Formats: sequence, C-alpha cells, structure tokens
Amino acid sequence: MGLKPATNPDVEAATIELSIDGRTVAAKDGVSLYDVIASTGKIIPAMCYHYTFDPFGSCGMCLVMQEGKKAPVRSCTAKAASGMVVRTEGDDLFAARKKAVEKHLSVHPLDCPVCDADGHCELQDMAFQHGVTNLANAKQKFIPEDTRSLVLDFNMNRCIACAECINVCKDVLMIDALQFMKKGGFNQVVPKGDQPLACEFCGDCLAVCPVGAITNKYSKYLYKPWQMKKTTTTCNYCGDGCQMYLETKDTEVVRVTSPLSWKNKWGDRAETSKGHGGICVRGRFGFQYIDSEQRLRQPLVRQNDSLTETPWLDTMQTVIDRLSDIHRKHGPESIAGLITARCTNEELYLFQKLMRAGFRTNQLDSSARYGHLNYVHAVRHAVGIGRPLNDWEDLTKAKAVLVIGSNITETNPLTSVRIKEAIRVYKAQVIVVDSANTNIAQLASHPLLVKPGTEGLLIDGLVKSVIEQDLIDEPSTGRHPQAFAALKQALDQVSLEQVSARTGIAVEQIREAAAIFAEAPRAIALCAEGIVRRPNGYHNVLKLIDLAWITGKLGQPGCGVTTVTEEINEQGAVDMGVAPEFLPGQARFDDPIARERFGKAWDVTLPAIGSGANLLEILARIRSGQIKALYVIGENPVATLPASLEAKGTLEKLQLLIVQDPFLTETAEMAHIVLPAATYAEKDGTFTNLEGKVLRVRQALDQVGESLPDWHIMTALANGLGYEWHYESAQDVQDEIMKLLPGYYNLGQPRRITPSADAYLSNGYTTEVATRYRIQPTESSSEAARPFTLVTGQLLYHSGKLSTRASGLINIEPNSARLRMNPADLQRLGLNEQTTIRMTSPHGSVQLGVRIDPDVLPGCCFYPEHFNEPPVKDLMTVEVDSVTGVPYFKSTGVKIEKVGG
Amino acid sequence: MSVGAWTKKLLQAALFYEIWDAMKVTFKHMFHRPITFQYPREQRTIPDGHRGALGLLRYEDGRERCVGCDLCEAACPSRCIKVISHEDPERPLQRYAAEFYIDITKCVFCGYCVEACPVNALAMTKMYEYSTHDKRTLLFDKKRLYEIGERHLEDAKKYLYAHNQEKNSDESREYRYYFPQSVLKPTQSQPKHLS
Amino acid sequence: MAQFEDQRTTVYKIDPEHPESATLPTLRTEELLLNMGPQHPSTHGVLKVVLELEGERLVKSTPVMGFLHRGVEKLAEEGTYHQFIPHTDRLDYVCAMYNNFAYCRAVEKLMNITVPDRAEYLRTIVAEIQRIIGHQFWLGTQALDIGAMTVFFYCFRDREILLDWFDELCGARLTTSWYRIGGVERDFTPSLFAKLRQFLDYFPPKIDEYVIFLEKNRIWLARTKGVAVISAEDALSFGLSGPTLRGSGVDYDLRKYEPYSAYPKCEFSVPVGKNGDTYDRYWIRVQELYESVKIIRQCLEQIQDGPIMADVPSVTLPPKERVFTNLESMIQQFKLFSQGFNAPPGEIYCGTEAHKGELGFYIVSTGGGKPYRLKIRAPSFIHMGAFDHMSRGYMIADAVTIFGTYDIVMGECDR
Repeated sequence: MGLKPATNPDVEAATIELSIDGRTVAAKDGVSLYDVIASTGKIIPAMCYHYTFDPFGSCGMCLVMQEGKKAPVRSCTAKAASGMVVRTEGDDLFAARKKAVEKHLSVHPLDCPVCDADGHCELQDMAFQHGVTNLANAKQKFIPEDTRSLVLDFNMNRCIACAECINVCKDVLMIDALQFMKKGGFNQVVPKGDQPLACEFCGDCLAVCPVGAITNKYSKYLYKPWQMKKTTTTCNYCGDGCQMYLETKDTEVVRVTSPLSWKNKWGDRAETSKGHGGICVRGRFGFQYIDSEQRLRQPLVRQNDSLTETPWLDTMQTVIDRLSDIHRKHGPESIAGLITARCTNEELYLFQKLMRAGFRTNQLDSSARYGHLNYVHAVRHAVGIGRPLNDWEDLTKAKAVLVIGSNITETNPLTSVRIKEAIRVYKAQVIVVDSANTNIAQLASHPLLVKPGTEGLLIDGLVKSVIEQDLIDEPSTGRHPQAFAALKQALDQVSLEQVSARTGIAVEQIREAAAIFAEAPRAIALCAEGIVRRPNGYHNVLKLIDLAWITGKLGQPGCGVTTVTEEINEQGAVDMGVAPEFLPGQARFDDPIARERFGKAWDVTLPAIGSGANLLEILARIRSGQIKALYVIGENPVATLPASLEAKGTLEKLQLLIVQDPFLTETAEMAHIVLPAATYAEKDGTFTNLEGKVLRVRQALDQVGESLPDWHIMTALANGLGYEWHYESAQDVQDEIMKLLPGYYNLGQPRRITPSADAYLSNGYTTEVATRYRIQPTESSSEAARPFTLVTGQLLYHSGKLSTRASGLINIEPNSARLRMNPADLQRLGLNEQTTIRMTSPHGSVQLGVRIDPDVLPGCCFYPEHFNEPPVKDLMTVEVDSVTGVPYFKSTGVKIEKVGG
Repeated sequence: MSVGAWTKKLLQAALFYEIWDAMKVTFKHMFHRPITFQYPREQRTIPDGHRGALGLLRYEDGRERCVGCDLCEAACPSRCIKVISHEDPERPLQRYAAEFYIDITKCVFCGYCVEACPVNALAMTKMYEYSTHDKRTLLFDKKRLYEIGERHLEDAKKYLYAHNQEKNSDESREYRYYFPQSVLKPTQSQPKHLS
Repeated sequence: MAQFEDQRTTVYKIDPEHPESATLPTLRTEELLLNMGPQHPSTHGVLKVVLELEGERLVKSTPVMGFLHRGVEKLAEEGTYHQFIPHTDRLDYVCAMYNNFAYCRAVEKLMNITVPDRAEYLRTIVAEIQRIIGHQFWLGTQALDIGAMTVFFYCFRDREILLDWFDELCGARLTTSWYRIGGVERDFTPSLFAKLRQFLDYFPPKIDEYVIFLEKNRIWLARTKGVAVISAEDALSFGLSGPTLRGSGVDYDLRKYEPYSAYPKCEFSVPVGKNGDTYDRYWIRVQELYESVKIIRQCLEQIQDGPIMADVPSVTLPPKERVFTNLESMIQQFKLFSQGFNAPPGEIYCGTEAHKGELGFYIVSTGGGKPYRLKIRAPSFIHMGAFDHMSRGYMIADAVTIFGTYDIVMGECDR
C-alpha cells in the first residue's frame, strides 16, 4: 500500500477517535481520512476518489482543514490519526476547492456540446457547484484522439488525470491495461505501451471516467445522457446476473452502463464483496442483437418448402390446429419441448406447465442439461440442496479457493473479479486446476496445469493426500465413521504417484494444494465446465463434496463446493422444474406428495412417472417415431449438438416443429412454424443467478416488430388449445409461482443455506462411494492415433450463439476459423499462422487455420464453441452420463496434419 | 333631490336618453378608418422578435452550425425535438446532427431551444403559414428546417439580435464553434496535427 | 308501477259518503335538472354546470369541472423549474404574463433571489398591462353575455393594441413566456416605450367610452345590480379574492398588503365595492383600469437603467455571448438546461395579485432540479366553489352573468 492509507476492510488496527466538524468520530487507525469523513455522511467533493481502490490523490478537491496545519490537506491521502481535529466546511475551503476546479478547467477544452459525458460529467458538476465563472486564460491541449482501440476512444484533451481508469483496471480488475505517459507535453492515459488496447474490454475505465476522456465507440456522439431512458435490468449472458442499465432511445438500444460509475463513489470497501457494480465486455458491448436487423419480426409458416411471413392470428390457428390434431391422434407422448435457460423464470414455469398440465407430457428439457444439471444432481444427492452453495461474498472473503476446471475469467468475468478481490484484498490462496493457462491461473498462487481431461483425477489425488497427510477434520468425519471408512477403502485404489503421472502434477504440489485447502479457515471449491461438462462430471462433483466433507468445509459459513453457470437462468430452469426429473421447486417428479400438490394446483393428473424424457431421450424418441411434434423455445440443437447425434436428421422426421426464437436460427430454418419471440430487454420477469438471487428483468423498449414475449405466446397457445390461462402479465405468472413456491422471490438476496450431508453419509454413501474412485483405464491406442485433445469452450467475448449476433462483440472477436494451439506444438508440426491444417477425429475431419495461443497447453488445441464455421463441433464424440443424462461433447482426441505445402 | 334634477331624470328615462348617449359614440365610429384588414390579401407586419416556425442556420461559408449537442431537446418543455447525432466521417471529432426532427404539432413556440443552443444554430422566423392537409408533413426534418432557415435567414438573424442571442454579424463571427479550434487565442499557434 | 298506480288512487280517492272531504288533487312536483355546457358558448371554456331548477329559479347548481384538465401540476414534476414557465402560459391563457409572473416569483422566493430594480419595474409595467388586457377581456365578454355587443368590439379593439405590443416585446401575443426566474427575458426597446406612452394617452378616454355604454344602460343595470350578491363574511369564508372579494367591501389586495415588485414605489388606490353584487365588481374592474394606467405612468417615470436579470450563476442563465467563448458559462448553460438548478429542500407558497384574484404557487422541493410537487391556487377554481352559493334563488338567465362575474377561465380552473 505504500504511502497510501489502507482502506482495506480487513485492516486490523486500533480504534482511534478524532474530531470532525466538532463531532467525535471513531475510526480505524491509518485509514484514509476521506473514508472516515464519508462514513459520517458528509460528502466532500472529490474527482479522483472511488471506494473500490486505494486513494490516489490527484484532483486536489477533497481538501479539509486540519488543526495545526496552515494549508488545507487532501483528506483522501491523509491517514486518520488519533486526536486529529478536522474541519470540512468553510469559506476558505470552498475557495480552495474552487481553485482546484479552476485549475482543471483551465486546460479543459470548450467542447461540452460535442462531449458525450456532458450531463454526466463530474467536472461540470464541480464547476457548477463551485460557481466558477469567467475564467481567463484557458489553454488548449490539441491532442489528437486515440481511436485505435476496438471499443473505446481516448480523447485526452478532456482528461483531468485523475487516474481512476488506471486504478480500477489495475487494482480492481487486475488487468493493468492502462498507464500514464508523457506525450506532447501532457500526461496522458494510454493503453499499456502506447499500443491499441488489448485487454478484457470490460469498459470499467469508461464507467469511472468522471469526464468524457474515455468514450464508448458504439454510442459515441449518438445521444446525450439526458435523452436516454435508463432501465435497470439484469444481463442475460452468463450466470453472474449482473445488474446493469440499459439505456434506450425510442426503439434503439444506445448503450449499456453499469452501477459502477464515478457517480457512486462513496461506499465501504467491504461492500464490494457483493460485487463492485461493474459489468464485463459482453454486458457492456454485446447489446446490439436486441434491435438488430436480423430479428424476426413476423411469424413464419412453412408453405411449399419455404417459410412465409404470416399474420399472428393465422399462424396461431395453424399451430393450434396441428398441435391438437397430433395430440388427438397420437396422444400426449407424441409432443415434446425444449427451452433455453435464457428465458425468465416465469416463462420457464409456464413452459413446463404447458407441457405437463397442458399437453400432459413429461418430455421436456432445458439447456441446463448441458452441464449444470450434473452439479445440481450431485449436490442435491449429497446435501439435499440443488443450487450453488456459495455466494459472491463467500468467494471474496474466502481464504482458499480451489478453482477446478473453470476458465472463470472468460466464462463468468464478474465472479472472477470476486476471486481477484479475494487474492488482492483478502490475501486468499487460489489453487487453479485447469488444462489451460487461463487468466485466473496466471493470477493464482498455485496454478496446477493438468493434462487435458484429468481434472477429475486430480480431485482423487487431493482427497487421497488429505487423508495421507492427516488433514482431516475430525468432528466431521467422526460423526460418520462408516462412511469415512468406506471412503478410505475406496481410496485404496488411488495412489498419488499414479495421479501425478496421469495429470502431470508433481506429488508435492498435490500435497501442498490439499494442505492449503484443508487448512484454510474458509475454503471454497469452485468447479465449472472442466468438471461438469466433461465425462464423469456427476461423480467428480461428488468427489469434491467428499473433499469438502473430510476437510470440514461442508456446512461451515464461507465454505463449500460451488459452480458457475454459462447461461443466466440455468439455475432458474432447474428451480422451475424444466427437466423431466423435477417439478417446480426441485421436487422430484416421482415424489407423490409433490405430484399431488401440483396436480391439485393445476387441476390435472400429472403425466405418469417414468414417461419423461430428457434431451437425448427426446431425440431418440423422435427417431423412433414416438414424438411427432416438438416445441422449441430459444434452443438451437442443430447448431449445438455434434453431428454424431444427428440432430438435423432427427428433427426432419418430425411432423411438426415449432421454433420460437428472436432469430432465424439453424433449427428455425428447418421448422414448420417460427414464432418471433422478444428478447430479455423487451419483457418483464426474473432471472435466478448462480448465487440463487432472483433478479428483476425489466422491459426497456417495445417489442421489435410483431415479436412477443415468450410467456405471452405460450399463454395464447394454451388458451387456443382450450386450457384457459388467465395470465395478463409476467406478474400474474409470478403470483402463481409465489403461491406454489413460497419464499422463492426473495429479490436481491440469495437464501442463506447450510448444507449438511448427514443424511447422505449415513445412508447409501458406503455403497456408492467406491464407484467414483475407480480408475478409468487409459485409451492408449487412440491416444497414439489422435495425440491432440481438442477442447471447445467459451471465450470472454461471447456467450453461447446469441452473442455472435451482437456486432459489438463480433468486432472484438470475429470468427477467425482458426484453431488455437501452443507455439511449441506448432513448431513441432512445422506450422505457422498462414498454414491450413486438417483436423481428424473418428467422426470426420475439418480444415481450418491455426493461431498461436501460448495459454493453450502443449498437446491441446482449443476452438471457441460459439462458431460453427468450420463445423468443429461435429468432430466431437458424445458420451452420456448414466446418472444425469448429461451429454458430454466438449473435448475429444484429434489428429492434426498440415494441408498441402 | 331637487325637482329639477328629478324632472331631468324622468325625462331622460322617458326619452331613453342613455341610448342617444351611446349612439353618439357609435355614430362617431362611422367616420373612423376600419381597424380590421383583409387577411390573406393584407398581411400583418410582424415584429422582429416574433416566435414563428423554427429554422436551422448555417454559417456564411455554408457549414452547418448545429453540432448535435441535443441541448435543445433537453430544454424543450413539450419534448417535440429529436436529434440524432453522429461523428462527421470526414472531420474526426466534429459532431453533427445526422437527423433533426421538430414535431411542429407539439411545439409550443416558447423559444427555449434557441435560448439553449450553444452555437445559435436554431432561430425562430416570421413564418407562420404552413397549414397542410397532411399532418405528417408537420414533422419537420433536418432538410425542411434548413430550408426554412435559408429562406428566412434575415428574419432568423433579426430574431437572434432581438432576443439578445447574437450581437450582430461582425461580432457573431467570433462565436463560431469549430471544435476544437474554436477558442484558439491569437497568442496560441495552430497545432501541427490540425493544420 | 304498482306503487305508482297506488299513489294515484290515493290522491283521487273520494269517499262517496262524504264527498265534501275530497281534497284537491296534489300534483307531484320535482326539480328540473338542466345540463348547461360543456359546449355552451357562455361558459368560458368547457365547463358543465348541472342546474337544478324550480321553474325559472336556480335551486342548486353543481359545477362539473375537469373537461380542460391537462395535468399541468403533474407536468411540472417532469421538467425543470425553468421548463415550467411555458406551461404557466396555458393556465389562464388570456393573461399569460401574470401567470409567468406569479410562478417566477414563487421560484424566486424558493431560491431566495433578488431581482434587479429595472427588471422589477419592467415586470410591474407588463403585469399592469396584462391586468388591463384581462379586465378588457372580462368587460367585453361579460357585456356580450348580457347582450351588449358593442362594448365587446371596443374592448377587443384596444386589447389588440396591447397584444401587438406583447408580440413586439416577447414574440407572442398570448403565450408570452417573457418572465424568467430572476428577471425578464428581454428589455423594452425604445419603440416599445414610445408605443406604451402613446397607448397611455390614448386609453383613458376609451375607458370612458366603455362606461357610457354600460353605466346608464338600464338592461345592464337590471342584469347586474343586486345579482349574485355575496356578503363580506361569505366571500371571505369561500376564499374569494381579487375584484370578486373587493366587490363585497373587503379591502384586500396583495399589491398593498404584501407589496412586491415595484408596487410599493407606486401610488395607487384599491377600489372597494359596497353591495357585493355583479355591478360593484364591474365598477371595481373599471376603476382598476384607471389605476393600472396610473401605475404604469409612475413606473415609466421611475425606471432606471440597469440589468434585467439577477446574476446568480447557479440559477440564472449566463449571457449568450459568454457561452460561446467561455467554458464555465458553457457548463452553466448545459447544466441549467439539461438538469436545472439545484433547489433547496423545502416548501413555499407565494401568492400574487392577478387581475382575477390571488394566483398562488405552492412548491414542494426535495432538492434537485425538479419540483417534487407543485400546486396552483387558481382564483378561477376557488371562485367556482362559491358559484352554488351565489346563484341560489336567481333566475336561470342569470347563471351566465354569475359565471362571468368571477372572470373564470377554464384553463386555469381545470389546470
């Protein structure tokens, strides 16, 4: 911290007393005086201060008079000391502050009319507040604008050198992409090394810039702040569920801003544990799809092999006629449905109600099936709670975080900021287990870069080493001696050396990691796509729970096993019962009490137990001819599933395929009927994020074209089919959910839970524990033929296929059709970035370019899952989890060879 | 009351004296020039400060004055202005109004937009005859507003002088807003990258 | 139906044994309900009154208002303080200047701004001109309502002169928006001064002319004397103000009792009536025309050179030429137009003596650039409250005169 006063909430310092404006105030010794004054409710003007980072002291506005000093002192960089007598108001201070404003104004250009910050500018506010008028000798800087960067423009004429952007980037986000540089006689903010900006493009620097020095390229010069309607809503990309402001003008989305801003700069540093209010690149720059030209504006009906625009009434009549026809002829088992987890809770609820109470079928699934259900099933099985066990605050304040199989900076950027804060402010030890040198691995204290596909195996090693090193928590294991004995027995098959050999991590490192995790007072294991989307995901999560159990981290505050989700409402989809195995509230579908309750509430007899089908079963039943009609909302199985699942051929067998989507997706192109749906910006509702918080989604603009919210279409459809639903708004649906699931809508607050595995450990644990520690035989034969592991996954700049429709994100990360490989591998194969390669797997081969990425480990190659051109996903082999029915298709062995000369 | 006064009053009442009294005034007016005029043929003289239809103005060299700062939109009490601005593709950092709409059916002719404009790009004119059969034509767009500004340039200038928005042509030349050269003091030299 | 039949039989039942006991049949009577307006030409806008009549007599009259309701008070909460001035034009749309004046005074009281001297004189002059216009307008329409058409023409002829003068002053004849918070928008030009002086010489003889038509006119006297009488106590308890109150003999004029602007520096008398009938109120208004001329003459004599806007950078706009060249003024301009000035939290009421009565603005501020709540005490609205009381027992034909006597304008009444 150097000379700067500590504003760390964990600072352990004596409590002192000082006098502020005649009032005695208690504070911690050595804390910034500004923070102490702010805590009394007084606001001193300041332009370079923000509570999320340490004070910098460049603006010279936060002046106070300290007794014993002649001149005013800067309160932000002054340390609070015992017995200080401070005065914060007075004409002399006003004059001194006014002088400071004048100093900034004297080198500021006269460009309020063209400046985007105008109306949302701290310099303006300060000048106005201090009544600065008629200043002589204004100087101009004439610095050309730096427009090299992809999303931001730097106009250093307007810069007041407050360094907020640099500090937030370095201190809060730990990216460190900006710096000061003396150029043209002025101190300017430039991207590191005076190069075009190459960072995470989160735009938090833009948010904290108190003037218009950093501008958003996408909304530059379009509108002024006062013209736009600001709607507080929830981002719909990843499971973080960040709050953001969607700023719209009439029918267009102009920009997205975050609660993080220079405007709310006063707070306690400890508050940031719930989030610093920033958003990531996807949230801030990935909004263009909402009002894009590609949006469906009219319902489409297939006529003579082509989709024709048809009015809503005619379309709905066709849908209703054909659906009821199929229903009458072939029974409820002939209808199935898929929905995306980007829909709101209300829509997910209505969808399953339509399926179960309307069509009386239990053949339905959501995109939570692609991975999150593995986690849900595992924790539900072990501790009886079907959602992530920890919230952001736990992550921030953890002393040890085991990030396993998660490129969290790219998949869930804001959760990763929580871990970064844990590292920086709370001095947490972070163990990262991954098969790529991810951003979080680079920041972590203990990066363990394992061979691809062996993340799960390393958990075996950790569990084993905890027992070997006797790091077990006696009270936890002592209560279930039988279970512990069974675990010990199961672990006999595991030897650390074997684990070390297969994962490529030294035994010592495994031991150290296990010790760190076990000894930390608050430790969290966070697993994500590398665990839940890879083979044995279900068992691997259970192993992590074992690890947490024996180290006493289960049921302790601030500890646990948690996950992050890729799509915003995967948790909500599970909670709303959009899975054949669950009813709303995660009641088991075969639970007779729940069946009776929901049957009564919906006034129907629920479909028979065992008649349900998940995603893959639905596909199988379509192939077998049982399912004749499929209702797809927002899902795109044709573009998501690998060719070996024959999604396309399967869907062609259907008599009726209804696709409801904002865009004409690959699946929609095959559909018989396409219904235009509204995006999250055009409807009300709620999302449940990965913490279990239920977050509001608010309508920011009218629906594009004739598109309608999904709940509206579903209600119309249900009424057309004669089910008599009386929902007139999302609120009506919400009321019904509230009645059925009391306490679900605790908006904003995740429900506090204390997981306990007692029931599981004393019941059934012993019989199944052995299965998960069984060493899988290595496929040595295939490994020789296909030496590379192809991994598909998410990029920071994209989320699913949706973000590829956002021009802002495509500008940053277009589809390069290049495979990312380690430079060493490239050299070994004699490749460079100009060559084309052929990649072959048992399912075929594709030709594509390559790109050097040092973060990919040797022996691996990575391709972003967002792009299907070339169709890399079709190379994937599919494995299905026997317990949870989750299809795994994110990694496979491939052979790579050079094409041509 | 004396007898005489009483008699007079009675007489006046009997003879409807007050009518004759009033008729005197009325008949006098027969010899007045009529104060009405025949509108379409005769036009009112309209004072310089009159708040008529709005027009957009250019500088003498033909450049648009408007920098698209949207302050008129903020100032408008009836929310009838919509400005969409962009960066001028040819001259970086120059903002201009790509689209400018005034819904003249909503306009209350208060003149606040003119008062707000930091470059005096807007002015009110003496034009008031724009009734139409098609209400849609009353959404004045940028083209129409510049046309009005050009046709009524003299009126617009007089309006600005009358309402203390601009001093006179010579002085106003100084006010020209060319970002960022606008406030270049004589003592400052033109920076290299701008010339 | 059965009941009705029954009633009839009881009424006409005659005991055959004692035919002499038969009473005369008593016919059932009930009041006639008559809807007057909202499309009636003499209701001064869109006012509907439900008249209960017993024959020709008014038994009860219930004004039904709100046909011209535009949510002006709510609109005030949406915009900055400055932006509300054009909305006040549309309250009493025939006398916009006085509404501007009353509103600006209220905000100045809230912001604690002192208006420069010259501006105060200009404000007083224009306010008095507006009073003249208002009374002319009232006189003309009231005479028209009663049937005297000539007065209407003469009043409107002279009113035209003043409206044109307004046009030259601020650019609009009716929707003036000339007053500003802290001063006025524009100074008088020499030509305006000249025209005003000319008018002051021209006008008093014209008032005499109006009077000739009415004062001795027996129809006028019959329709105004002793009509719509209200006692001083009743007038006070109904909250009446302006000529309507002074007609009942209560000497109450805010210009005298809470002097503001340049009024304390001028000598003028406040005419007070005796009988509280329509005629007295007419008489007061005519006298006020003479008084207004007097006030304007004094103001013109006393007025000195000086600024016309208060110089409070946090509230008043900077001069335009500074905006072009000076960053601070530019910032001031942008802040004031886009966000408005920062009003201190609190609430104030400020009443101003408009020609109709006390026009008051009540502003609740919670800080920030927009009022939290703005309430307008519109004299027309308050006066409508006394309508039932004042019209009881008069003939139906008097209803029109009684509306007129308050000088109501529905734009202000319904807001």
